[in-house]
Amino acid sequence: MDSLSIYVARASGLHHLNPITKFVLALCLMICGLALPGMWTNYLILLLIIVPLAIWGKVLSRLAQLVFNISLPLVISIFIIQTLFWGKGTPLFEIGPFVPKLEGILFSITSAGRLLFIMADFILFSLTTRPDMLMISLKQAGLPGGLAYIIVTTLQLVPRFVTKANTILDAQRSRGLETQGNILVRAKALLPLVLPLVIGSLLEVEERAIAIEARGFSSKKVETSLIEIPDSKNQKIARVFFVLSTILLIATRLIWLS
Amino acid sequence: MNIEISNLHFTYPTGVTALRGIALTIESGEQVAIVGQNGAGKTTLVKHLNGLLQPTSGYVRIGEWDTQAHSVAKLARRVGYVFQNPDEQLFSKNVGTEVAFGPKNLGYSSEQVQASVKDALGMTELSDKTETNPYDLSPTWRKMVALASVIAMDTDIVIFDEPTTGQDAANIARIANVIKVLRERGKTVITITHDIDFCAENFERLIAMSHGQVLLDGKANDILGQAEILATTYVEPPQLTRLGKRLGFKETVRNEQEFLAEL
Amino acid sequence: MAIVNLQNVTYKYPLTDSPALQNINLQVSEGEFVAVIGPNGAGKSTLCYTIAGFVPHFFKGEITGTVEVAGNESSKSSLHEWVLNVGLAFQNPFNQISGAKYTVFEEIAFGLENIGVPRDEMKSRVADTMRLTGISDLADRSPYSLSGGQQQRVALTSILVMQPKVLVLDEPTSQMDPIGTREVFGVIRTLAEKGMTVVMVEHKVEWIANFADRVIALHEGKILLEGKPDEVLTSDLLTDKGFGISRYTSVARKAKELGLWKKDRLPVTLDEAVEGFTLTPNPSPEGRGG
Repeated sequence: MDSLSIYVARASGLHHLNPITKFVLALCLMICGLALPGMWTNYLILLLIIVPLAIWGKVLSRLAQLVFNISLPLVISIFIIQTLFWGKGTPLFEIGPFVPKLEGILFSITSAGRLLFIMADFILFSLTTRPDMLMISLKQAGLPGGLAYIIVTTLQLVPRFVTKANTILDAQRSRGLETQGNILVRAKALLPLVLPLVIGSLLEVEERAIAIEARGFSSKKVETSLIEIPDSKNQKIARVFFVLSTILLIATRLIWLS
Repeated sequence: MNIEISNLHFTYPTGVTALRGIALTIESGEQVAIVGQNGAGKTTLVKHLNGLLQPTSGYVRIGEWDTQAHSVAKLARRVGYVFQNPDEQLFSKNVGTEVAFGPKNLGYSSEQVQASVKDALGMTELSDKTETNPYDLSPTWRKMVALASVIAMDTDIVIFDEPTTGQDAANIARIANVIKVLRERGKTVITITHDIDFCAENFERLIAMSHGQVLLDGKANDILGQAEILATTYVEPPQLTRLGKRLGFKETVRNEQEFLAEL
Repeated sequence: MAIVNLQNVTYKYPLTDSPALQNINLQVSEGEFVAVIGPNGAGKSTLCYTIAGFVPHFFKGEITGTVEVAGNESSKSSLHEWVLNVGLAFQNPFNQISGAKYTVFEEIAFGLENIGVPRDEMKSRVADTMRLTGISDLADRSPYSLSGGQQQRVALTSILVMQPKVLVLDEPTSQMDPIGTREVFGVIRTLAEKGMTVVMVEHKVEWIANFADRVIALHEGKILLEGKPDEVLTSDLLTDKGFGISRYTSVARKAKELGLWKKDRLPVTLDEAVEGFTLTPNPSPEGRGG
């Protein structure tokens, strides 16, 4: 793994949209989806908005695969727990000591819908947006350069950290360190594994700081960008539209509730 | 204790096939250097010897132990592995404790541990630094601490992964001395190295790998003379060998004594 | 007027007892290619950091003496001004990758983005410099997917693209195979001939002999020897102090004691050794068996 991102490159319209547009859309969709009532609402948004977007982005199968893999165990647990351990309600049938309730099933369907929707929204965004592109566009929009740098480099550096941890693990195992076994065994293994990792990482940080300094990171000049992220008037309008609609929806919902 | 590798194939979980049918035997007490381009499979091969990697097919036997039947920690009784970066293993409050870590894990008696540690520190010129924190030492001496930590385990087989990269002449001489002592004690020493001069001067047998296979395997003198085949593994012959060839020597020379003798 | 001018420089890192550099006097002319050799701990990296401005501005510590490099002066200029004229690449390529970019092309452009180079100029400079160092085919690869040798080339290119007047290199070929090493030395030689000043720390003595104008031998923070490669690299002083020398020099020295090396000057390179030994009247062209 080169970086903590599930981005897949495709020649699609969705990919070419400005990252901020996609970010705003994903965020607004999520807020709307959670704000709206009804058991089937989230499924509807999933089917009517997210799936078509995924088709446009040519990532439908990958999206389905990821959502399925991640959500399935959770959905199953939700159903089992909520159905069987629902308190007072309408019994459906009997399996030994367990009496599944209708309300449990209905609640599970709603919860599962919410879960699947949030996952799909977030994963679709990650599949079609390269993290560094998002950072560049945020920087263009005014996000401080240092912050953007930290976020993007974290995505690439965490896998490196994991690799380093594995090398240290190999080295200590090769010196006879047992890592499998009871709590005591594992506790004894902690220091030989963690200390070199921490110290080694600190040493690396210093070198890394020197390296980016040598490439003008602290330069007082105005930064330029190699890559220009395309943006358009239409997209700007669309973003405003998304945000306003979301606000309107929430306002309506709040009024309706009171 | 012999090492037997039979029809070893290995493919990483990512799908990359790193070893394609390696078969070789390394006898007790042999000194072997493995050379070849980056990506040839040298480290992958050598990590099978102490169980860090398990064969996709084929087997590796250390003595009568099949590596698939024993944990890495257990195989560490027979195979010591000196990693390239000492900072990826040092954690103790002083050198003495650090070097004692390995033998203690292997369950030696406290007298044995003390003796092994003393011996290893002597070999690596660290006897006066027992109480020092490893991270207070320079990278040169940290390398020696890492070396001592593995020697103190007193294994029959010792593997060195790129021991000379980044080391200065003085440290390379120390490392060569350690290898010499191990040789005199009848240990099997296996090294992966880019430093062909170091390889030629300290190892009897040379294995050249390329693309997951063994291309050449034999006595160093024989192999170092075959410049064309060596070139395919991105290995240049050692300085003195090249000089000997240019001067028209009959025999392939690989160190100063041989060179001067031919002269 | 020397482009690198160090006078009586003594430097001590913070929280240390002894100075890392003592009384260093070093002048390098524009376009010179100077190699620095020495055992580990001699102060080679510290010297590199001093010429590149990181000592004392990044590391703090105590410094005395004058440091003037490419128009910057240690007590007056700040680090971010210094790096515009002096490029630094060091040994570990992995830590020199910014981590902010997903392709090699963008990675190399990173420095130019920071100093505000216009986009079109950026693109052509990156492409040209990549061609120079022979990594044009790596443009779309992820920097983290490369081998150590390839990463070292990317690190070098990332600094060259900033067009420094002085290039400071700390063991830039340590991870490369002989072919890569030869190419990099060739590139640096070409740049030096075009006017770039190069200061390079190296262990590979044979390459220095063929490519460097001058060699500086550092020992325990002081300059032990300074001069032309074939003078410095064959000096007995080096062997006494534990420096690594080429095996040609070493074996020729022993041969001289046996009367088998007739020349005055010891060889450093293969060609010099061949030339010297062929003059020896003793052996027949086929050599003698032992």
